[in-house]
Amino acid sequence: MKQGANRRLANVKTRTETGLEYVMQNLDLNTPFGKKLLKETKPFYPGQEEELRAELDKVEGMMTFVKASERQVSKMQENFMMMKDLSYTLERSHKTALSVVELFEVKSLLLQMKDLDKICKDPDCAVPKEYILEDVEELLDCLDPRKDRLNTFYIYDDFSEKLAESRKKKHELEILVRKAQKARKEEIRKDYGIVLTPKFDVIISKSSEELEKAKQIKDLEQVTEDYMSVTFELGKSEEVFEHVKEIEDVNSEIEEEELVVREALSKRVAKYDEILRSNCDKVGALDLALAKAIYGIRHNCVKPEIVQEHIVEIENGRQLQVEDILNSKKKEYCPVSIKLADGVTCITGANMGGKTISLKLAGLVPILAQYGFFVPCTRARIGLSNYMQILIGDSQSVERGLSSFGSEMEELKEMLDNSMDRTILLIDEIASGTNPVEGLALTKSIIDYLKKKTYISLITTHFEAVTEEKDIVNMQVRGLADADFRKLDSELHIANRKERINIISRYMDYRLYTVTENREIPKDALNIAKMLGLSDEIINGAKKYIE
Amino acid sequence: MGLLYDLSTKYKTLSIVGMAKNAGKTTALNYLIEEADDEGITLGITSTGRDGETLDLVTGTDKPKVFLYEDTIVSIPSQLYDLAEAGLEIVEMTKFGTALGDVLLCRVCESGYVQIAGPVATAETKKMCGRMFDMGTELILIDGAIDRKSIASPDTSDAIILSTGAVLSRSIKKVVEETSHVVNLYNLPVLEEGKVRDEIAKHSHENRVMLVDDKGKINKLNLTTGLGASRFIDDAINENTRYVYIPGAFTNSVIADIERDKLKQVKFILKDPTRIFINVMDWRQLVKKGFTVSVLKNIEIAAVTVNPYAPSGYSFDHGTLRDTMQEALPDIPVLDVRM
Repeated sequence: MKQGANRRLANVKTRTETGLEYVMQNLDLNTPFGKKLLKETKPFYPGQEEELRAELDKVEGMMTFVKASERQVSKMQENFMMMKDLSYTLERSHKTALSVVELFEVKSLLLQMKDLDKICKDPDCAVPKEYILEDVEELLDCLDPRKDRLNTFYIYDDFSEKLAESRKKKHELEILVRKAQKARKEEIRKDYGIVLTPKFDVIISKSSEELEKAKQIKDLEQVTEDYMSVTFELGKSEEVFEHVKEIEDVNSEIEEEELVVREALSKRVAKYDEILRSNCDKVGALDLALAKAIYGIRHNCVKPEIVQEHIVEIENGRQLQVEDILNSKKKEYCPVSIKLADGVTCITGANMGGKTISLKLAGLVPILAQYGFFVPCTRARIGLSNYMQILIGDSQSVERGLSSFGSEMEELKEMLDNSMDRTILLIDEIASGTNPVEGLALTKSIIDYLKKKTYISLITTHFEAVTEEKDIVNMQVRGLADADFRKLDSELHIANRKERINIISRYMDYRLYTVTENREIPKDALNIAKMLGLSDEIINGAKKYIE
Repeated sequence: MGLLYDLSTKYKTLSIVGMAKNAGKTTALNYLIEEADDEGITLGITSTGRDGETLDLVTGTDKPKVFLYEDTIVSIPSQLYDLAEAGLEIVEMTKFGTALGDVLLCRVCESGYVQIAGPVATAETKKMCGRMFDMGTELILIDGAIDRKSIASPDTSDAIILSTGAVLSRSIKKVVEETSHVVNLYNLPVLEEGKVRDEIAKHSHENRVMLVDDKGKINKLNLTTGLGASRFIDDAINENTRYVYIPGAFTNSVIADIERDKLKQVKFILKDPTRIFINVMDWRQLVKKGFTVSVLKNIEIAAVTVNPYAPSGYSFDHGTLRDTMQEALPDIPVLDVRM
């Protein structure tokens, strides 16, 4: 038995086929922290029943909270959307001075945390204590010396007196330069009638008389020349030159001081590293808890009862992925009830009767429960499992170059090798891809093997002989047994191809019932083939062979 | 009050578009920024279409470095932030990504030089302009980073400022001719409101060549471009066809093989004038043949700037270029950015 970090309840295929991955992908998570947390979520195993019950109680509490405080929850989620994962920046803050952009991002995160805190502390809003963030006001004060709490950032003058002084000096020098140059510009205009642009340059055509005059002005430097005209620029006088040099010195002073400020701020951020990280974890936990609760409410999920014995009991269960598809087509899902315990249970019944979906449902409910989710049914009792696997045909076998039978056998081996005490095995129409004689023999033998184990095994099959075995529970799809065939026929008569499938699914009763006496499997295949429009010649031919 | 004040009362966003590389686009931008400062207009500055120009930006060749004054709102990718000489207060980190990091919106605290760059996609530029207005900007200047007219698509801005100059040709006559050709194209008549327009607009997202007959019935051809397809279009035009909608580029090859009578009989409809790639001479001949065209959306030209200098060394006389241009374009203010 694999233990520790590598322990695995179910492989990716099982998580995908049962619908667990679908549920996880559809959670409304809004922070990078919540998404990370979901990825790291581990299921609960046998022996952890108490912990799981506590977790489910928490989800229940969260659902009550979500229903009571809708407004605050939507505010929280809005706040979540703005949050960014800054773990790399936080790491860097220990080693080096953060850039202005990074400091801005830290400040933004702090402001968002403060906003979240405000929402959480609203007297109408009973957020559980474990999600309340640690105070970050002090660090925020460092990054926001003016305390105006705006989501903006710059190395403001307020950070350092020296910086403020240098900047002021630079500004004054710039004005001096401009004044001196403006004065000279005015002189040139008076003395020579040449007008310089605001940038202190001028273009003079070669044919113009001004050219000679301009050439005489000593501090008007010629910059470029072409065959039509000459461009002059006002040179720097002694005074201006001095000022410009000073500005350059001041500039490097400013740069140095800005670095000092950034270094000091980065150190403060580094000090808060752990608090910020733990706050981010709390935000992630809150995000995930809200998402789970909201999902549960939206999809009418209930709290599963976690029991000691190894059973799966589902009342009116719905496979969420299929339900969503049906809902999007404005159709309703027909809930199915299933009761499973250690031993082998077979699902038999009509084609198109939803056997495979019910098989997936029997996986979805217990796996959701073990991951601490509410489950889509009206009532559920679940005993925890150590291992779960589904065996179901998919397109991957073709891609891997294996026949469907080949890959089935490969997966069957993996599944039986990995099984242990308290396992759930879900098997969809095993050995249907080979000849019926060997297929039946193989299925029977697998069932004989599984009967002796402490596994919950659920198998869908068309092999009638299988269900005649002793000690096997046989559940059957009601199918078209109770349908009004005359009405169905008349409806099908006028329908086109697409509608036919819809009509059949409307008459189909997907519910399962346990067969007590040995009853024949209903032979609906030919009926359905006929309804779908297969020619009479073939249908009648097939009937002859049965007789 | 100067030109920019007039413009700011009419338009909210102006794109600056160059007729060619080195037509003086950045000079024009700098000129307008100076004017805005003189007139106390709070500017927003951004650019668009600067995709795949990372190398240029980093090595510093051909980067539109502009001098910005205090309180201007500017967009700058996060990796260029530290290179800015101006003091920039970060006001917002947008989600618009560029090759140089997400775009930041900043307010200039200390005037200085900044390399501007904005979102790549037009839709994002539009959204970002909205944010800039929220921050108190009165007028946004968009530097159409790629010196191509096609960037001027009417979706981005209210109007454009067209930069042209000596770089186009050694002859003033040619410069004026080509510029006024573009101005005329941008001023093409807009297809009047009505059934035809509604029908075309409804199907225009399918990007197919469409014919509309006199009863307003649409015939969608199995062509996604008119390029090289003039024979097929010619075949499809019958005596009842009134309009031909061409979704993509409009070149000679779209109409070369269309019979003269049919050319006269129909009106061509284009999405906007930037789709036209036909030179002055050919265009005139087409018009002579009776060719007519309308657009779903045209482009307003707010002003034309001229630059009498070409980087290859020759130049025109300032007054002459400006005056000749103004004569050719009497309704549009023309200004010389080097005066």
